Amino acid sequence: MSTETDRERLAAHYTDFTNPSERSLAGWEIASVFSSALIAEWILSAAAGRTKLIVLIPVSLAFMLVIGSQMLRREGLRDLGLRFDNFFSAMKLLALPMIVVTLVCIALGWMSGTRPDIFRWHTARPIVFQLLLGFAWGFVQQYVLQSFINRRAQIVWQRGLGSVLLTAAIFALLHFPNPWLMMMTFIGGLVWAFVYQRTPNLFALAVSHSVMTWVLVSTLPDSALNHLRFGFKYFA
Amino acid sequence: MDNKARARLIHLLISKSMAEALLISAVAVGFYFATTNQNLRGVLDNADRTWVTGWAVDEGHPGSRVEVQLFVDDAFAVAGTANQYRPDVHEAKRADDDWHGFALRMPTLHPGDHVARVYAVHPNGNGTRRTLQLIGKPFNFRVE
Repeated sequence: MSTETDRERLAAHYTDFTNPSERSLAGWEIASVFSSALIAEWILSAAAGRTKLIVLIPVSLAFMLVIGSQMLRREGLRDLGLRFDNFFSAMKLLALPMIVVTLVCIALGWMSGTRPDIFRWHTARPIVFQLLLGFAWGFVQQYVLQSFINRRAQIVWQRGLGSVLLTAAIFALLHFPNPWLMMMTFIGGLVWAFVYQRTPNLFALAVSHSVMTWVLVSTLPDSALNHLRFGFKYFA
Repeated sequence: MDNKARARLIHLLISKSMAEALLISAVAVGFYFATTNQNLRGVLDNADRTWVTGWAVDEGHPGSRVEVQLFVDDAFAVAGTANQYRPDVHEAKRADDDWHGFALRMPTLHPGDHVARVYAVHPNGNGTRRTLQLIGKPFNFRVE
């Protein structure tokens, strides 16, 4: 009898990982947010013409789902990575990959005959302001990518390589069809998803996101990055 | 997650999917009306090794002349305007005057089977796009 009870307790404890419907639900959530991004990037950008505000509709729907899901799942701010206590631990983990990617980008740019230019990102704006904008945009992306997609990917495939790969693959696919951007976002996605699973801190990831975008546009030729365009705009 | 929260999450997912399906449907319908002219009428009467003839009228603006483009075997051949004399179109009450025919010169073709298509050029509302709308049916012909 006690063995039966223990078995039930054990089964209940592992419900989140073994119940197929829980995994399906998490997969559905990922697919739903992914589809919103595709609708915005491919259908509305192409069909809407000059009325870009229509893109806000699927984006708002996606954020409603993300925030609603996090509330229903009772995920706290600390769980999501909105915290400061582990900021430097996360930055420490990020430092080495950031240095390596920076050196690789400088080497690739040098091989293609491009001289690094730290003011190339947005010539009309002061670089500090552009970095702050990059931080804000990076924070929004990392919030959705890590605190939602990565966490749901961990429900689908648990913590580890599978969920890290899934998160990075989704991040790269959202930058289709820009080949350089897809490659760099896949590498960045792997590093950020791995660091988030070990030390969840969205502020550190946003800093890394902003700095790495700056490195990319400062070192690689613009002909390769195509002004960081992706989706239907890539062809514009 | 308890059953109540799970049910709410599923409702949220379904509601979002429905809202997006409605949005895409609305955009598709709007895009269709913005890029096609419902009042366009026309026929490709004949095609041979020298000429392609027919008529085209925009019944929404019956006094205007329709810009047309000839494609042979899916390749652009020539552009023109449907402003030739065609009293039969007027007599059939398709147009307000006699000048809605077109006669487009065929490019040099090698012997064999060919397909001619004539499209009307349709600028959309704010002029940012120009779409091609098929006039009548594709015309199959043979050059000996």
